[in-house]
Amino acid sequence: MTIAAQPGGGNSARPQPSGLADVIDTILDKGLVIDAYVRVSLVGIEVLTIDARVVIASVDTYLRFAEAVNRLDISQEKQGLPGLVGGLEENGAKRKTKGMLDAAGDKLREFTAESSGEERPARRSR
Amino acid sequence: MTTQSQDTRAPGAQQMAVYVYGIMPADIEVESGGTGVGDPPGEIRVVRHGDLAALVSDVDLSRPLGRPDDLYAHEELLDSSAAEVPVLPLRFGAVVTSDDAVAEELLGPHHDEFADALRQLEGHAEYVVRGRYVEDTILQEVLAENPPAAQLAEQIQGKDQDATRELRMQLGEFINNAIVAKREQDTRAVGVAVKDVVAASVVREATHELDAVYAAFLVETDRAPELEQALEGLARDWSDRVELRLIGPVAAYDFVGTTAPAAGG
Repeated sequence: MTIAAQPGGGNSARPQPSGLADVIDTILDKGLVIDAYVRVSLVGIEVLTIDARVVIASVDTYLRFAEAVNRLDISQEKQGLPGLVGGLEENGAKRKTKGMLDAAGDKLREFTAESSGEERPARRSR
Repeated sequence: MTTQSQDTRAPGAQQMAVYVYGIMPADIEVESGGTGVGDPPGEIRVVRHGDLAALVSDVDLSRPLGRPDDLYAHEELLDSSAAEVPVLPLRFGAVVTSDDAVAEELLGPHHDEFADALRQLEGHAEYVVRGRYVEDTILQEVLAENPPAAQLAEQIQGKDQDATRELRMQLGEFINNAIVAKREQDTRAVGVAVKDVVAASVVREATHELDAVYAAFLVETDRAPELEQALEGLARDWSDRVELRLIGPVAAYDFVGTTAPAAGG
């Protein structure tokens, strides 16, 4: 049995290879911990890791969600949100001010992005 | 009972030690030439003791571990093994002084416990199911289901950011809570969909705010196609809503532990 890569993306339940974020979640967090079995001969070694599991402060998460709602395509929401149509014109004028927050959000997402192959060593306290 | 042991000291001033990847039954064969963690990567060897074998390689203590290549090396070695034989995967970073320490302090004293765990894992492998919400879809779903949130969104729309900070916080918190609830619900849906196929399951902690499901399943390797089938139905239903991925077979990281070395079926 092999790990089958699924070409072409799309939604699929076929097995796929792990991205770096998956690997980190798995092998730094799970598995047998040798310390529990071996004490005498355990050797300390400096372990550098990319900690992709950045814990995003709630406040940032909340603001990001609110911003994402703001960016939603209003036309798609018309049925559920008739009141929003009125705010549409105003919205155009405010686009510029939102630019910075968008950029910050993107950066954050980049950092937490799935399988970002980028090397960002950070010391991980153990 | 034999203990295969070599002197692992490399010539020169490097301080060498032994990196341990995982534990398997002793009757496995390891292809020569495989490499593991470190730079340059150490060659994979086997240390045997009784019915057990540990996959190890020499590692230079003066160099830190944890480059992406190291992480991949650890995972790929164990995952490729897990598709064929039962494996008890060790967490990344397990280093002991020598082969003797592996045999006499790790394998020896815990021989029966590990052997028993390996018997339970025989014929099984782990599969990880990971789903991520499609942001626009899930936000619209939340707003459509929660008129108060939709009203908040309406109030904020087009207004100055600073002036609406409180409202934004409220809206964001509302959405976050709604997504947490959806995650629970959708994780249960995945559990129900696969329950007849899996031997054991573990829900992993969400690591992303848009995680829809993150769970590990222990599955008989023969039944992997049934698992795929069970999930494909969900993947279709959720095609614009959740990006669903199935990762595996991988070593049973989520089903080994220090107190309960293997999941009871």
